[in-house]
Amino acid sequence: MRNLLKILYAYHFLILFIVLESLSLILILENNQFQRAKFIQFAQSVSGNLYGNIDNFKAYLSLKEANKVLASENVNLRNKLEAIHKVEREKKDTLIDKYYKQRYTYMSARVINNSVNKQYNFITLNKGSRDGVIQDMAVISPSGIVGVVEGVSENYATVLAVLNRNFKVSAKIKKNNYFGTLSWNGLNSEICVLSDIPHHVKIAKGDTIITSGFSNMFPEGIQIGIIDDFDLKEGNFYTIKVKLSNDFRSLNFVTLIDNLIRKDQFQLEKKTAHD
Amino acid sequence: MIRGVYQNIFNFVGLVVLQVLIFNNIELNGFINPYFYILFILLLPFETPKWLLLLSSFALGLSIDLFSHTLGMHAFACVFVAYLRPYLLKVIAPREGYDAGTAPTVKYFGLTWFMKYAVIIVFAHHFTLFFIETFKFHQFFATLFRVILSSIFTLIIIYLSQLLMVKR
Repeated sequence: MRNLLKILYAYHFLILFIVLESLSLILILENNQFQRAKFIQFAQSVSGNLYGNIDNFKAYLSLKEANKVLASENVNLRNKLEAIHKVEREKKDTLIDKYYKQRYTYMSARVINNSVNKQYNFITLNKGSRDGVIQDMAVISPSGIVGVVEGVSENYATVLAVLNRNFKVSAKIKKNNYFGTLSWNGLNSEICVLSDIPHHVKIAKGDTIITSGFSNMFPEGIQIGIIDDFDLKEGNFYTIKVKLSNDFRSLNFVTLIDNLIRKDQFQLEKKTAHD
Repeated sequence: MIRGVYQNIFNFVGLVVLQVLIFNNIELNGFINPYFYILFILLLPFETPKWLLLLSSFALGLSIDLFSHTLGMHAFACVFVAYLRPYLLKVIAPREGYDAGTAPTVKYFGLTWFMKYAVIIVFAHHFTLFFIETFKFHQFFATLFRVILSSIFTLIIIYLSQLLMVKR
């Protein structure tokens, strides 16, 4: 203690200098709009840079994994393409749809910040309004849904993840098309809850759950997960635990989906509801 | 000693009033401001305890800040200069050193020595102040130009004031 006081006394000039300068700096940043804005800008650019670098490094480490996922996605897409060609060949002479329009556009992005351990989890992506990201775009990864774009800045976008208690999406059972609402109860980062499926529907563990396409954000048929467990505690409706097919701990590349005619659908539905 | 304390309190109040009422309203070419008030830091006696040197400079800067809506900026620059002062005095000390009971004024050490001392302190103060004000090193030389012009202007006023003091 005495030594400490001695040191304090020996360096009192320097210490007091630092204290007073810090105090002045705090006063400057608290009271002067311009300096404050500059400081925040600086701090953000530093932290943004840091995040970017860490993320680059992480991406490098998981390159192998990413390659594998991409390869499997390629195979899937190729299969789908084949299927489409087949249908087209069959239909070629019967119908040409002049009014066909592209409905969804896709864009890839990288996850640069992510959490799974909170009640309201958000994900940050490295694409923003400059790249054409807008609010309410759907976000998916090769293995399932990820969330919905919530906030957009010039260079970044935040995503309301499935693992957020405010998240809700319309989902259906693949084999019989019964649909319900999928949400997260905040307990386990691998399990979501699907409700509103009536009790007479036959379901089994392992059934696939996909998006219904009713939500006008997600296209129909994006994988969500498989049934892990279900019970009938709440009367007429099942409470179904869905094991997510997506591992939110290792998200890296995601795809943003924009529904080009969402506005149209939304307005029509609103109008109908009013009438 | 006690007389010295009163003298310095009078300096403090007088210089703040002068700065706020007169020198803050002088703006040559729109960007040359004299900051005459740091004469207070220049004239503090040698025996001033170091902590008092820092605290009084902080108070001085803060009083100027309060009147010119720049809270913290002058305080920052003043504390910086106050910290610099003992080291600077050591560097530019005359061969015989400083006699007890004297102050770094023209009366004891002459105008040339005093101006050498003032140039460094004034420049350091203006440099810190102007760069805190712009808060970026973008356009470094434009700001430096303002620093130099304002320093020259402040030094001229300090020089004239010291001439008057000596005459009297």
